[in-house]
Amino acid sequence: MRRGIAPRNLYIGLGCACVLAIWLSLALGPVSLPLGDTLKATLRLAGLPIAGTGLEQAELIVGQIRLPRTLLGLAVGAVLALSGVAMQGLFRNPLADPGLVGVSSGAALGAAIAIVGESRFGAVPEALSPYLLSICAFVGGLGVTALVYRLGRKDGQTRVATMLLAGIALTALAGAAVGLFTYIADDATLRSLTFWNLGSLNGASYARLWPLLVVSVAVACWLPRRADALNALLLGESEARHLGVEVEALKRELVFCTALGVGAAVAAAGMIGFIGLVVPHLVRQLSGPDHRVLLPASLLAGATLLLFADLIARLALAPAELPIGIVTAFLGAPFFLYLLVRGRS
Amino acid sequence: MPSRLRLLALCVGFALSLPLHAAEAPQRWVSAGGGLSEWIVALGGESKLVGVDSTSQHPASLTRLASIGYQRQLSAEGILSLRPQLLVGTEEMGPPPVLGQIKGAGVQVEMFSSAATMAALQGNLEHLGRLLGDPQRAEAQLASYRQHLEQRQQWIAKAKAGHKAPGVIFLLGHVGAKPLVGGTDTAAGWLIEEAGGHNLATNEGYKSFSVEMLAALDPDVIVYADRALDGDAALKALLKENPVLAATQAARNNRVIALDPTLLVGGLGPRLPDSIDALSASFYPDAAQAAVAP
Repeated sequence: MRRGIAPRNLYIGLGCACVLAIWLSLALGPVSLPLGDTLKATLRLAGLPIAGTGLEQAELIVGQIRLPRTLLGLAVGAVLALSGVAMQGLFRNPLADPGLVGVSSGAALGAAIAIVGESRFGAVPEALSPYLLSICAFVGGLGVTALVYRLGRKDGQTRVATMLLAGIALTALAGAAVGLFTYIADDATLRSLTFWNLGSLNGASYARLWPLLVVSVAVACWLPRRADALNALLLGESEARHLGVEVEALKRELVFCTALGVGAAVAAAGMIGFIGLVVPHLVRQLSGPDHRVLLPASLLAGATLLLFADLIARLALAPAELPIGIVTAFLGAPFFLYLLVRGRS
Repeated sequence: MPSRLRLLALCVGFALSLPLHAAEAPQRWVSAGGGLSEWIVALGGESKLVGVDSTSQHPASLTRLASIGYQRQLSAEGILSLRPQLLVGTEEMGPPPVLGQIKGAGVQVEMFSSAATMAALQGNLEHLGRLLGDPQRAEAQLASYRQHLEQRQQWIAKAKAGHKAPGVIFLLGHVGAKPLVGGTDTAAGWLIEEAGGHNLATNEGYKSFSVEMLAALDPDVIVYADRALDGDAALKALLKENPVLAATQAARNNRVIALDPTLLVGGLGPRLPDSIDALSASFYPDAAQAAVAP
């Protein structure tokens, strides 16, 4: 195994970057707050009895707008990066991406059904209406992934190559269905659909945050426990089996974690590309391929990168917002190209 | 004595109006909705606007204000950074959690209707008049608007009596290419019927037609809105990109009309009566000439 930076140094570096990203995410925004006010408001929110007057605005902005947004960014970035590692491990290919098993296209289909359906038929109970889009996206992602997984199974075995092809076919099918909804949508609905496909952390609230937080904590706790098995899988399926890894169970868990994690992330923030592909790749360059380091390091790097991307998204066009998917792709794609070119020479 | 009395009355009136004025007329406005912004300008409130959304393109002076982005994708902090006292928008404004955050920050949020009906317009203008602190002006605008439309309807009814309603299609394109046809439920379809034309398209929404279909419909009049070009340049581009259209009645008789696409968003706008005048005049050229001749 190629050795990279010592894990301890890597964790310290990424941890510092992550803390910096969290602080900047709380301190910067279109409304400029004095640094002292932000600090006091943050400490007050943490429950410390800090005295101070005129902090109402800072407390409102930091507490009700920036903190839920920061938490959302942390969870989405972490869970997308972890899912990327899981998929690259499962397919034993560094080009794999959580979209391969159909979770993104399924979620997009669910979202299209929700957005277009609600504007055309409209008869949704009031209590359900704000959550309809998230629920449909989550169910769509999970459903299509389950189908891909079913299609990849034969004689009690999951064939990764078949799953890959089934994923491509179902992605095309879901894409066609989304196209059909796009065709029947009116102008305003069409724009909502387009914006959803570009992702955003805008409008995060605690009420919508907790399902994603639960899922991402569960995924973040579960996947690192399977790091040794993922390492064994790197050698090949039969080799892993000989090493005593229950390969079928491992595949099932990886697909399930990805579907759950990416489904929840996409349901909360829309489609955000490139984090799942680029972050594991980048971290692997630094840490080497050992999943015991790769998984936690990717978690930190994914969360950090998404928070920085969100800073650009909220500041670049202020007072308007840039969809975050645009920022991640603009940051991610050139970097990915750089890695490709450097690897070739 | 009367002068002192008058002075006293003035002082009392002024003192009474001060708190009322401060409470009722917010001074820093953000508008999320093209039609609303246009009406705010028409009612003399432009100086109060500190930010508008991306659909507020008319009049052009609005594009110099801070842009808060698309009306359905507003950013709470972005809007709060403009320190507004009031956010106005239609039911299309969102997303709802962001509106909640803006309200939570103490900004007054007022909702208007985006429906293209007189009832909705009346409600909107009365509401805007109250918020601007000048209900009389809004009332007068509404009355003249209504009168203008009614007079034109009478004119159209008379013109229709002598002629068959012309078959019209509405096309929306970008530099002439791949135009979309405005269907029955669109603002364009409504505008055609209102100006006395008969919309030949039977689809819903804006849909792409094959050129063959367009030629087969053979409209008497083509109304064309281009997102990038206006006036004659738009019409030239349309005929250049779609040579088949040149064979239609409309093109042969030189009845292809350019329309500003910003007219079609945000309900009944202040420029609408004038454009109905122009459209109906070109739908019934004989009646229009007869009106000019004497």
